[in-house]
Amino acid sequence: MTHTINLIAQSRPETMERVLRVVRHRGFALNAVEMKNCDKNNTVNIQLTVSGERPISNLEHQLKKLYDVTELELNSALSQSAVAMNA
Amino acid sequence: MTGAELVLKVLQQHGVKHIFGYPGGAIMPIYDALYDSDVQHFLCRHEQGAAFSAIGYARSTGKVGVCMATSGPGATNLVTGLADAMMDSVPVVAITGQVFSSLIGTDAFQEMDVLGMSLSITKHSFLVQSLDELADVLHQAFELAQSGRPGPVLVDIPKDIQIGSVDFEPYPINDKKFPAIDQDAVTAARDLIGAAKKPLFYIGGGVGLADAIDELQDVLEYSQIPAISTLKALGTVPGDYAYNLGFVGMHGNQAANLAVQECDLLICTGARFDDRVTGKLDTFAPNAKVIHLDIDPAEISKLRTADVAILGDFKQILPQLKVAPHTPEWLERVGGLITEFAWRYDYPGENIYAPKLLNQLSKALPEDHVVSCDVGQHQMWVAQHMLFSSPRNHLSSGGAGTMGFGLPSAIGAQVARPDATSVVVSGDGSFMMNVQELGTIKRFSLPVKIVLLDNQRLGMVKQWQELFFEERYSETNLSDNPDFITLAKAFDIPAISISKADEIDQAVEQFVQSKGPILLHVQIDDKDNVWPLVPPGKANHDMIEGN
Ligand SMILES: Cc1ncc(C[n+]2csc(CCOP(=O)(O)OP(=O)(O)O)c2C)c(N)n1
Ligand SMILES: [Mg+2]
Repeated sequence: MTHTINLIAQSRPETMERVLRVVRHRGFALNAVEMKNCDKNNTVNIQLTVSGERPISNLEHQLKKLYDVTELELNSALSQSAVAMNA
Repeated sequence: MTGAELVLKVLQQHGVKHIFGYPGGAIMPIYDALYDSDVQHFLCRHEQGAAFSAIGYARSTGKVGVCMATSGPGATNLVTGLADAMMDSVPVVAITGQVFSSLIGTDAFQEMDVLGMSLSITKHSFLVQSLDELADVLHQAFELAQSGRPGPVLVDIPKDIQIGSVDFEPYPINDKKFPAIDQDAVTAARDLIGAAKKPLFYIGGGVGLADAIDELQDVLEYSQIPAISTLKALGTVPGDYAYNLGFVGMHGNQAANLAVQECDLLICTGARFDDRVTGKLDTFAPNAKVIHLDIDPAEISKLRTADVAILGDFKQILPQLKVAPHTPEWLERVGGLITEFAWRYDYPGENIYAPKLLNQLSKALPEDHVVSCDVGQHQMWVAQHMLFSSPRNHLSSGGAGTMGFGLPSAIGAQVARPDATSVVVSGDGSFMMNVQELGTIKRFSLPVKIVLLDNQRLGMVKQWQELFFEERYSETNLSDNPDFITLAKAFDIPAISISKADEIDQAVEQFVQSKGPILLHVQIDDKDNVWPLVPPGKANHDMIEGN
């Protein structure tokens, strides 16, 4: 199963590392990734495409648990207004 | 003030009175600030000891434990302790010194990527980027360590930030915030409980962490629902509760393991369906619907799908789950199981039977005591045979199962609760893993009492070799152990050694009465095993009984 995850996180030097580590450790393969700095609130927007056999809700919860992650949407684009607000 | 002084100021603002640590180059400014601070520092003899002492401090009180180490090897030595705190949801703040910011990434002396190392073994971690954010990061660390599901937080502070100058501004300490409780889920849960014929509470460490023991006991008393406990929950359900089935899982009581297989509703409360509890997962509680109560959304339906889930503060949730008792037949069945599978202490011969000794010792200890243990057979005997009136009195490395946990954890508990009797139950293998902490006991004249169950074996591994590896005892024979009595003496710790059952009464008496530290060395038969046992990959109703 392939899933897309779209999230907004606080921008720290290691934010991307944290996200990728969780994806790997919780049993998902990374198919594609894109990160954009949103320069206003010191946040980043990360879009991931992942695949794996395990329930995606597990990964979703684990990513939301990351302290820096503030918003997360699964299999849908974050509403344009949410991205815009953080941009 | 300097950044280093600010660190101590912020710690004090969060009520920190004691720190466990070990100095070194990159954290010297903080140690210098400590020199005339009111915060008391306990020099441990290995940073792993400092981390476990912080854990013992935290677990025995519910407060945050603090440990500190220098960069590079100091920080790597904390890693196992932090991982242990992560697995067992222990609120710990670790402070590490880092080399000058300008040297990070140059392979400078004792420069290691501590932030990188911390990612998988902490709830969160920070590499402080500037003096401006130092205070804020430390406040966040304390809030995070305690909020939601607690856990360890690491703050790595470069030396230039420790020596830079900065103003201190008081900071309001925020109350804990909890998610609103889903009242529809509460109604659904009440309906399930009302309809159940064989409901069962499955209690985990989360109840103690949420400080909701009274609320839980109230529901149990009112609703008369039987309860099973995980390793970390022991002490949560009152020992005299008529339907306390006790310890569940691989070395749990048969009554608990059979009841869970029979129940038709499992109310999982701050537990996480660990494999040591469930045995073969798809055979666990096969006929049960599941209500899952937790503060951490990631635990819901992680391993077992919940029919109803309620997230939030147990202090608010549990009182809403009181339902009038309505299952007399089930209670009779459970009462029967409890009687049928009560632990037995008949043991042939003159040798010492560790379960009996531990049970006797447990009853002889003063009311206010904490038992820390190590990992192995002795740990399971502690869980099975010692009696606890609070999970804060039973410190055992659960999720990580880390040998070497016991001694430093007991030191932390003794510092946190100076009036309590702090006891370690260790094994001859585990004891040697942090034996250097005897130096900490000596240095601070701590009255920590040590029971060393010496089977001259890495007993738990030996047991598995016997049962599952055709008695091929690869690297588990410790018959060349040091002379533990002499070892204790080197640290001014008096010691007694016993090997026969008729020596127990006097030894226990002397042990309990001793005012200072003491080591009770107990020689036991290397063939004694922990029973019952759910073999790996088997269902909980397939427990085997040996001996
Ligand atoms: C740090 C660490 N290394 C290895 C293990 C694997 N292990 C689990 S129990 C055990 C034997 C422990 O021996 P001892 O402390 O003497 O306890 P006993 O089982 O004999 O009571 C070992 C090696 C572990 N849990 N932790
Ligand atoms: Mg042993």
